[in-house]
Amino acid sequence: MLAVEGIEAGYGRTRILHGLTIDVPKGGLIALLGGNGTGKSTCLKVIAGLLKPTSGRVTLDGEDITGLAAEDRPGRGLCLVPQGKEVFGTMSVEENLMMGGFHRRRDKAGLAEDLEGVYTRFPRLRERRRVSAGMLSGGERQMLSIGRALMSRPSMLLLDEPSAALAPKVVEEIAEAILGLRELGLSLLLVEQNVGMALEIADHLHVIRGGRIAFSRAVDGGVAPDELRSFYLSGGHDDEA
Amino acid sequence: MDLFLQYLANGIVIGSAYVLVAIGLTLIFGILGVVNFAHGEFYMLGAYAGVLTVTLLGLPLIAALVVVIAFSAVLGVLAESLLHRALRERDMTSSIIASFGLAVALQNAALLTIGPRPMLLQTDLSMLAVEFGPVFLPLPRFLIPVAMVVLVGLLFGVLRYTWTGRSLRAMAQHRTVARLCGVRVERVAMVTFMVGAGLAGVSGFLMSSVLMVTPIIGNMIVLKAFTVVILGGMGDIMGAAVAGLLLGVVETMTSAYLTNGLRDIIGFVIVIAVLLFRPQGLFGKSVERS
Repeated sequence: MLAVEGIEAGYGRTRILHGLTIDVPKGGLIALLGGNGTGKSTCLKVIAGLLKPTSGRVTLDGEDITGLAAEDRPGRGLCLVPQGKEVFGTMSVEENLMMGGFHRRRDKAGLAEDLEGVYTRFPRLRERRRVSAGMLSGGERQMLSIGRALMSRPSMLLLDEPSAALAPKVVEEIAEAILGLRELGLSLLLVEQNVGMALEIADHLHVIRGGRIAFSRAVDGGVAPDELRSFYLSGGHDDEA
Repeated sequence: MDLFLQYLANGIVIGSAYVLVAIGLTLIFGILGVVNFAHGEFYMLGAYAGVLTVTLLGLPLIAALVVVIAFSAVLGVLAESLLHRALRERDMTSSIIASFGLAVALQNAALLTIGPRPMLLQTDLSMLAVEFGPVFLPLPRFLIPVAMVVLVGLLFGVLRYTWTGRSLRAMAQHRTVARLCGVRVERVAMVTFMVGAGLAGVSGFLMSSVLMVTPIIGNMIVLKAFTVVILGGMGDIMGAAVAGLLLGVVETMTSAYLTNGLRDIIGFVIVIAVLLFRPQGLFGKSVERS
């Protein structure tokens, strides 16, 4: 589905990613873990087209999209739910959702259908559809960001720390919502600091360190938390594992 | 009392012209983060485009209005694509200084091609007038608030109910998320400059039968428009509409009841006071979230 090969990228003179390679198989849920400043978000920015890599390539369904503008990626089925639960604060919840479908705005019937789908998935958003998005709680905003991404009918969804700054109970809800997305046949790349949540829902996880993948395991058989913890500890990273 | 109502009407007329200029300015700032000091020149060139179309080509007013809108829109697109597009990723000072430069260039271009002689639009409409009780307004003046209400209403409709309008609002709120939704910055920037310059040009044309048109009329109107934008809250369209009318009325009243010399000063006094005590603007909410 999505393949990231040997990406090098950074900001100005600071190089963050040093030859990062990740594969997301069709229908897979891959988690990318790592401490602060290890390059997780940078990796998603490169995949979403917000940051141009200095070398390496990104392919979607075998097609090279490295040079494709960020604005054109939703039309290819690739969508990023950015960090920080960003919403259009003075626009209503429903307008926020509709914006997610901007690239397919001529498909009125399809948008109405998908809007209904998002409301069914997140009933709370239906209740609050006329409310300004800026008035929502953190959890509701995260649901709105995810719902907005779904309106673009993605096949590959990137999630940047959806659990950050949320109460444990809300994190549960978000985790369930993400699991629910798998039923849609979506492929997911999840960036997290919350190792517990990632272990719970991902089927494969990578740990990023120093701008490249340093540890990689399938979760199927259950990754021994000890193994992961010792990896984290040996790396000198202090995380909420 | 009768005189007061007449002053009020005069204030609303001039205020409506401010509103049209200020809304474009606040739109360009709110959506693109560009502080456009050349906005007064969009007003000045719109006025010339209209006056010259009527006097040189002898076209009717409605045709002149179409010419003004088309000409101003093209001007806006050129300013965006030739100047501000290249500066978009730089810090704000680059575009501020560039817009100053554009203002000087356009003023001098007008001076060289059209000359310094003041012009006034004279039409048959000037013979007609509208009367409401004690208030008397020549038709060309009466049309200014009418046009303002129609255009602002239209703008609101577009912003609220069309995809283009939604994409503009989304871009104003959060550029990155708007891009992630598939909104093209280039397109939004172009539309914004087109609308902003178009509104300023129409304002200039409407005012060309009230005040003399010269190459330097943009200087004062842009400062007035900035006053309005700050009073209304940067980027707030409704705030700019209310503040524009308010400034027009306050100026007229100052000139009528105090002294005409204070007319152009009063707005700046208010703006300094607002910046000191209410920097979010008269109607602005303070920051809603961190």
